[in-house]
Formats: sequence, C-alpha cells, structure tokens
Amino acid sequence: MGSTDATLVFARGPLFYTALMIFIVGMAYRLVSVLLLGWKRDRVPNKGSKLRGVAVTYAKGLLIFPFIPWVKKTFRGNQTTYLAGGMFHFGLFVVIFLGTAHMLVWKSLLGFGWPTLALPIVDFLSAAAIVAMIALFVNRLANPVLRLISGPSEWLNLLIVFLPMVTGYGLTHHRLLGIVALPYENLYIMHMMSINLMLIWIPFSRISHFMFYFFSRTYHGAQAGKRAVMP
Amino acid sequence: MADETIYQYLQREGVSRRQFLKICGALAVTLGISEASPLLAAGLTRPTSPTRLVAEALASKPRVPVMWLNFQDCTGCTEALTRSLSPTLTDLVLNKITIDYHETLSAASGVQADENKRMMMETYAGQYLLVVEGSVPTGANGNYCTIGGRTAVDLLQEAAAGAAAVIATGNCAAFGGIPMAQPNPTGAVPAYQLITDKPVAHIPGCPAIPEAFTGTLVNFLVFGKLPELDDLNRPITFYGTTVHDRCLRRPFYEAGKFANSFDDEGARKGWCLYKLGCKGPTTYNACAGIKWGGGLSFPIQSGHPCLGCSEPNFWDNGGFYQGQSAPIGRPTLTAAGVALAAGAVIGVANAGVNRLQKRHADTDEETTESLSG
Ligand code: SF4
Repeated sequence: MGSTDATLVFARGPLFYTALMIFIVGMAYRLVSVLLLGWKRDRVPNKGSKLRGVAVTYAKGLLIFPFIPWVKKTFRGNQTTYLAGGMFHFGLFVVIFLGTAHMLVWKSLLGFGWPTLALPIVDFLSAAAIVAMIALFVNRLANPVLRLISGPSEWLNLLIVFLPMVTGYGLTHHRLLGIVALPYENLYIMHMMSINLMLIWIPFSRISHFMFYFFSRTYHGAQAGKRAVMP
Repeated sequence: MADETIYQYLQREGVSRRQFLKICGALAVTLGISEASPLLAAGLTRPTSPTRLVAEALASKPRVPVMWLNFQDCTGCTEALTRSLSPTLTDLVLNKITIDYHETLSAASGVQADENKRMMMETYAGQYLLVVEGSVPTGANGNYCTIGGRTAVDLLQEAAAGAAAVIATGNCAAFGGIPMAQPNPTGAVPAYQLITDKPVAHIPGCPAIPEAFTGTLVNFLVFGKLPELDDLNRPITFYGTTVHDRCLRRPFYEAGKFANSFDDEGARKGWCLYKLGCKGPTTYNACAGIKWGGGLSFPIQSGHPCLGCSEPNFWDNGGFYQGQSAPIGRPTLTAAGVALAAGAVIGVANAGVNRLQKRHADTDEETTESLSG
C-alpha cells in the first residue's frame, strides 16, 4: 500500500478521532474546573433581569458593535487588531460551518447537515481570514506593547491556527497553485495533520476562548442584568 | 516455435501486412508513444513514426505467451475485457497474440487445459507473462480457494516462478479488493504479497479499464518490459492523474455548484457530485479520459459519484455516499460520552485539589496572623 494513501487514511480516521477525543476530554476538564472554581450561592436579591442582561450583551457584542466599531475603546486603541480580528473570526466561522466540505464533516459526526454557501463566497472569506491572520501576525510583531506581552504560546497559537487555514486553502486550489504542484492527497494529509494538532492544542491554550467567550459573556451579562446596569 | 517473432506468428494466423500495420497504429495510440519513446531514449532507433516503431518491435520480438489465473474474483475484469469496444485491441490480445491459458475461459477444456498450462510453463519458462485476477486467500491453509484440488497460493507461486513479469488486474489482485475488505474472512492478500521476486504491475479498478490492461500488456509485448509505474505499481500512463483532475463536472466543483441528492435540480443539470460522496479527488485512474464502452461514458458522466475503485482499501475507506472530506468511520456516542465524563472527572478532581490548597493557604494565613497578632 502506498505510504500517501495509508497516511491519509490514518489522518482522516484513527488519528482524527484520537485528537477529537483528547479535545473533548480537555474541554470538559477545563469547563468543569472553571465552573467549580468559585461557584458561590447568590444571596443578593435581583434588581433587574439576568436574562435581559445576557440578551443585551450578545446583541451589542455580536450584532451592533461590529458595525459601529469606533464607539469601542478597543477599536480606538488598535484598529488593526479590531478589524483584522473581526475579519478573521467571521471568515473562520463561515468556513467551518458554511463551507460544503466542512458541513460534510459535521454531518458525518452529528448525523444531519444543513445548506451551505457557494464555494466562491466561502473561498473569498477564507482568503480574507488568511490575510487577516497575516495582518495580526505583523501587528503583533510591530507593536512594541503587543510584542512585550507575547510569549511563545501566543506565537504558537497563531501558527497552529494558521496551518489548517493555508493547507485548507491550498487543498481547494491544488490545481490553481500549479506552481507548487502538490497533489491533493498531500495537501489533504497536511490539512488533517494540522487540524489534529490544533484539536489537541486547543483545550490547553487560549484558543479555548471559543467556548469561554460565550461562558464569560453570559456570566457578565447576567451579573450586569441582575444589578440593572446594562452592559 | 519459442523463437517465432510476433509478426511471424501473426502472419501464420492469417494477418495481412496491411492489417498488421493497422494493428501497430492502434497499439502505438494505446501506448501513447510519441517521439520520446523508450526505444528512442535508449538510442535504439532513429526518430520515426510511432506506427513504424511498434511494427519494428513486433517484427523482431518473439511472441510472449500469456497465462491468466483467476482466484477470488467475480471475473468482472475478464468480462470487461472481452466485452470492451475497442475491437482491434481486444481481438489482438484475445485471438491473435493469445492468452494461452485462461483459468475461466479454458475451464470447459478440463484436464487438457491443465496439460496445456503445464507445457506452457515448461516451454516458455522465464518468458511468459502472468496475469492474475482476484485476491489470494491465505486463511485455513489457503483452502478457501482451490482449483483442481490445489490452493490458490500454490498455483500462484508455481506460475509466478516461471513468469517474466506479472500483471495484477483489478482491485482484488492489486490491492485485495472486496475479498480483503474488513473483516477479511478468508485472509485474502493481493498478489504482490506472495510474489516478491518478479516485477508486478497493478491495473486496479473494479473492473480494470480494458484499455489500461491491454495497453500495459502491449507495452510488455513491444518493449519487453513493464511500463513506468507509480508508487503503487500502477502504469503512470493510465494512473498518472486523478479522476477529479479530468472530470467533466470539474467547472461545477470550482464554481461551488453541487448536486445535493440524486434527483434534485443540481443532479439534472450535471453539477458536481462531491456532496454525494465522490472520491474523484483522491482516485487515480483514466476513467475520465478513456471512459468506458468505447469512450461512451463513465460513472460520473452518468450521474454516479466515483467510488475510488482503483485505490487500496476502497471498500473500507468511508461510506461511498459520504463526502470525501468527512472523517473515515465515526466514533460512537458512547466514546464521546466517556470522553466527556473523563474530562469532567479530571475537572472535579482538579477543583478539589484547588480547594484543598486554598483551605491550606487560608489556615496558614490565619496562623500567621494570630502568631504575629
Ligand atoms: S464529480 Fe467528483 S471528480 Fe468530478 S469534479 Fe466533482 S468531485 Fe471532482
């Protein structure tokens, strides 16, 4: 059996599942640890509605502010971080959930699928996300403060997310990138390998904010709503 | 008659010079011979027309007899070959150059065929070409497949010992095919695992494309050796590009237009079959180029996704109708549940340790305070 073929089967099969299981174990561990860190009984009576607080914070954070960024201090502080960061997250979301190839992965894991966007749109957004990542990298490198607070794990985070993205992009365009002339399988192997690495890495890195972001936004929203100070 | 050339043999079979040249032309096309032929490269001949190149080779080379063995197969490769729509080639291979022994086609002749085979192995020892169709069972001492009371392993090794080269046709002979699919009850193995001292060319497919088979065979007859092979021992001429690379639905793939089911609008409009599980992107075969039925059509053109039948383990590499990008197999819900629970348990333990530490720290503080106070 050819080595390429065997490697691809391994990367798409057993290795992927091992990585996925490590990811689940890791995320469950992180979540439970955080939840049990300081869960105190709430003895203060509510002044406002917790639910309202949560709703407002999500509406503002996800639907309103992205389109009027100048009202935010983070935007005024560093536009590159804000815009490239937004572009990157939006692109990534679309690629992972609305790209046909990825929907088929979800379908095989969850048992159901959903309609996807046309490839050219997904393609454009993934290219935009890649460009955004490069901008974020340069920004981190160029900004003295950012560079000062960046340890090895920050650089690694960037790299580990960057790899699946470029290999995935190359995979879709293996023919257009004729200059590189890497066969589809090789790119597919690289894509799967980088995904597997990322899955194992996420729980132990700050990329886990994909989960804790919602966790903390909900918590803080609820706290603000309870005190009737709208976030 | 061991030294008779192919041309002399054909003459004896009643082939005229004109017919002979026609055959040579057809062969040259099959071989894809251009100016840079192996003979040219080796400095053995002057630049000349491809037909003449083949004609010269056939006129000077002794005829190579072919022995065809069938083991754990469906005879689909033989079927495809005998029914292929390129009359010149099939006719040439089956009737003119002749397969001297074919396990299935010769079966009716009984012991006489066996005798013929024995004589062939003696007369042409070290010269004949062995074609294998079907995988070889090694379980139960090889008794899952016996012919005339002898096991397939035994028959294959005996025949391979005197062969000049081996062509394993079809996925079963090349990579084990369906007989080797999990759980492989008969302990089937592909031919090359039992033949280690002879060159083996693979013509995988389910069945093998007749033109790919004859092309490889003819290459051996004309040049006296197997064509250039890839890392899975498949002739590069026929297996050099993926089905996806030459697919007629490729523009739709690039445009993101997919059929979502077999009878939706996309399917009717001939859009890409990727979502329906097409394995074209990782399948190396000539289907999209040579096609089937004399260039009439091939599965994807007819509306069915590629199954990847020319690749190893195609039967076990994920569902046929599951997208190419989907992982192979699926972890059970139980596994996911266990992983979740394991993570939660570690989390609780971690929290417990944290609390203990905190309590220790608190009491330490209190002690320090009371001591200093
Ligand atoms: S039908 Fe299959 S081989 Fe053809 S373009 Fe689509 S994915 Fe590729």
